[in-house]
Amino acid sequence: MIEALKLTKFYGAVAAIQDVSFTVGAGEIIGFLGPNGAGKSTTMRILTGFSPATRGTARVAGFDVHEDPIEVKRRVGYLPERVPLYEEMSVDAFLRYVAEIKGVSRSMRRAAVGEAMERCGVSQMGGRLIGHLSKGYRQRVGLAQALLGKPEVLVLDEPTVGLDPRQIVDIRHMIKNLAGDHTVLISTHILPEVAMLCRRAVIINQGRVAVEADLATLTEGAREFHVTVRGDAGKAEQVLLGVAGVKSATLDATGQWLVQGTNVDGEAVNAALVNAGLGVSALEHRRKSLEEVFMEVVSREREAVV
Amino acid sequence: MNNTWAVCKREFASYFLTPVGYVVVGMVALISGLSFAMSFLTHVDITQSPTTFAYSTVPDFEESLLSPFLVFCGMLIMFLSPLITMRLLAEERHRGTIELLLTHPLRDREIVFGKYFAALGMLLVMMLIVSVHLMVVGYFVDVEPAVLVFGVLTVFLMGAAFISLGLFISSISRNQITAGTLTFGLLLLLFIVGNAGEKLPEISPMPETYPAMLRAPFGFVYATFRTFVMELLVDAHAKDMAQGIFQPHDVLYYVLFSAFFLFLTFRALESRNWRG
Repeated sequence: MIEALKLTKFYGAVAAIQDVSFTVGAGEIIGFLGPNGAGKSTTMRILTGFSPATRGTARVAGFDVHEDPIEVKRRVGYLPERVPLYEEMSVDAFLRYVAEIKGVSRSMRRAAVGEAMERCGVSQMGGRLIGHLSKGYRQRVGLAQALLGKPEVLVLDEPTVGLDPRQIVDIRHMIKNLAGDHTVLISTHILPEVAMLCRRAVIINQGRVAVEADLATLTEGAREFHVTVRGDAGKAEQVLLGVAGVKSATLDATGQWLVQGTNVDGEAVNAALVNAGLGVSALEHRRKSLEEVFMEVVSREREAVV
Repeated sequence: MNNTWAVCKREFASYFLTPVGYVVVGMVALISGLSFAMSFLTHVDITQSPTTFAYSTVPDFEESLLSPFLVFCGMLIMFLSPLITMRLLAEERHRGTIELLLTHPLRDREIVFGKYFAALGMLLVMMLIVSVHLMVVGYFVDVEPAVLVFGVLTVFLMGAAFISLGLFISSISRNQITAGTLTFGLLLLLFIVGNAGEKLPEISPMPETYPAMLRAPFGFVYATFRTFVMELLVDAHAKDMAQGIFQPHDVLYYVLFSAFFLFLTFRALESRNWRG
């Protein structure tokens, strides 16, 4: 549904993004992660046709963003980072206007606006002026604006910013329900949100795609084990390092070994220790949290640059 | 077309959802009303003793009151038009709503014309207020219809020209105040430059001692420049029309003026595609 191919955008001499490529399949919810200034918003602006890429191509819903901008814009709902609202308008009037310029036919408009308002929980706010709304409600009106007309593709730039915890849960629930009918590209700082909503994530750092992978692979790719071993520590270390895939084994203050490596098999660790005559009193497989993966990716890149 | 209408409708409604619309309408009503009353009183004085006002006979109502009043209304619109144009695109940019406009299936022309028509709508509202006076006049006096028709048309064309300039300035600004000030400054400049043109001597200022080979081309360039400067004067093109004489070249002047700045507005909006 979304195909970014080697997107590069220069602001003057500074490259905001460089060679950003990724794809999002139909009906998928994909998380777009990265530290501030990594180029998330820039990429989203290119995909939605707001600003053109310096180089590279982007195809959304089968249309080239540069060649057929109108066709792309008909199929995309976009919530920018800075929610675009006309403060002097009422919520109703604003959403009716958006429905109109989105090309929702006159007879469908009222129903479409009503549905979007209900989905975002602003049904009671129809008559209120946008300028008088709290940040959370503005965010919701912005979201309702993006959902209007049921676009095939949704591009949401930090949709849960400024919402209270309950609203965040509601909105996440709503976004999750969008999967299947809509293709969603969602950027956020809140990593548990990604873990909750998305099956796949693109991590972007300093203008480049650092990782594009399934969340399961991301958090599982590098396995860690906590092992408590009875017996000689020196021998245990030797044995642990001898297991296929193990890169390091360190003993912490509590007497627990931390075994790290790639594609390490827990059973193999256990078997090796037992065969060597050491007792294994505990062996725990620990998945990495998304935070850890994120921090690793981001700091690794940073070191590489320095 | 539907989209142009949608943009236009929202923009026009916004004038009256914010104080701008009321301020402009109020000012037009106040100033045009006052000036009309004052011109009328002057007209009464003139009619009573034309000689004191350097008229040999009692002047036409059209000549001494109606035409100058219409031209004055044009000037009033010149002062107020920056107020209605400064927000058009600058505010969208400032508030970030430009992102909404540019990521919805709208073509540039639908955005530009939508905005332009909304401002023209405000102009029509202003002229509606002015025409209240004209209606009062029409009720009591037998006015020449040509003066009314062409006079109102010329004020409208003049206003449309001012608005196109304002729209262009707004399209290159991020700040409304900058846009408004710049528009007003440029309009005033056009006004002053035209008057300065009349001060330029008719014959080429190059001394006769210079060789003829140089004087001929310079004279031509100078004459063109002088005509150009004089033609720039925005209200000069309104005077004949306001006296009920249809002048195609004056109409053309205002239409081309508008077309030129609308064209620049398109280019300014398009520049996002190649500017960093």
